[in-house]
Amino acid sequence: MSSATLAHPSVDEKQEPGTGKLGMWVFLASELLFFGGLFVAYLYGRTHFPGGWAEASRRTDVLLGTVNTAVLLTSSAAVALAVACEEDAQARRWTARLLSLTAALGIVFLLLKCLEWHDEWREHLVPGPDFALHAAGAQQFFALYFLMTGLHGVHMICGIAALGLLARGRSRGRAWAGARELEVAALYWHFVDAVWIFLYPLLYLVDRHG
Amino acid sequence: MAEECAASTRFARERRTIAWAWIALLLLMLTSLGSAYAKLGPWNMVAGLVIAGIKAGIVAWLFMRLREAGVLIRLAAVAGLGAWCILLVLSGVDYATRTLTPTDVQRPQQLPPAHGAASQPR
Repeated sequence: MSSATLAHPSVDEKQEPGTGKLGMWVFLASELLFFGGLFVAYLYGRTHFPGGWAEASRRTDVLLGTVNTAVLLTSSAAVALAVACEEDAQARRWTARLLSLTAALGIVFLLLKCLEWHDEWREHLVPGPDFALHAAGAQQFFALYFLMTGLHGVHMICGIAALGLLARGRSRGRAWAGARELEVAALYWHFVDAVWIFLYPLLYLVDRHG
Repeated sequence: MAEECAASTRFARERRTIAWAWIALLLLMLTSLGSAYAKLGPWNMVAGLVIAGIKAGIVAWLFMRLREAGVLIRLAAVAGLGAWCILLVLSGVDYATRTLTPTDVQRPQQLPPAHGAASQPR
């Protein structure tokens, strides 16, 4: 095979996707199973301890949760727009700024999350001997709540670091911060958003009318 | 020149799609919030999950560009979802058909006894 063929593949992108994009999708499939086990545990708890689940969920901060959801959805739109701008010669100058905006929104999300956790700590909603609620299953709900939002938070930190690095590299015209890298990082960010899309109703909106 | 016009049109279309998708996502979020305050019984959870599914679908189809992805990428996405469904179904069948018996180390209030006195902790 000639070096020219290796350097410039001629096949259509749909028939042979870049290894980066396919690799990220395969990784996201494994991440789905990572979170998926916790979601199955959640479903078990909700079906077996409905009273405890409802009482515990009502103690979560629905206002902060809703604001955080809006922040994350907006960040997903921002990174999608960054990818679109990268593909247009005239709009390419906006890419770095949109990536920075996405990372900034991610930081806002984490700050609000820390505020929530702090409030829950003060209200004795962290599982342990001083746990405030006594309904069966309430402690399990909050154990899963902290585990799932904590794991999601760790993923957010990785995403913020990646997007921040790409924003910096893009603004300086670095070769490693190109369209392919951007698209792969954006896929990861959208997945983290999709996980939160399910966490929001499952953690914050159980039996709110009760 | 023609290529530049086509690219510009494509970008404008993409920008519009992202904007509408963003608005739809926010409206669906508010719908989910509103439905939680309506007394729908077990349908509250169904409504929440259906709305979340639609939102995730918008993110996957439009933002993650599954609509223009090739077969291989779509297969990777479906494989992940399929594997999770297997996890859900098999674990669900296990828990649905297994009788719960508290062990001695569990305090009584953590788990209601499934049977009579024979299974009570000593």
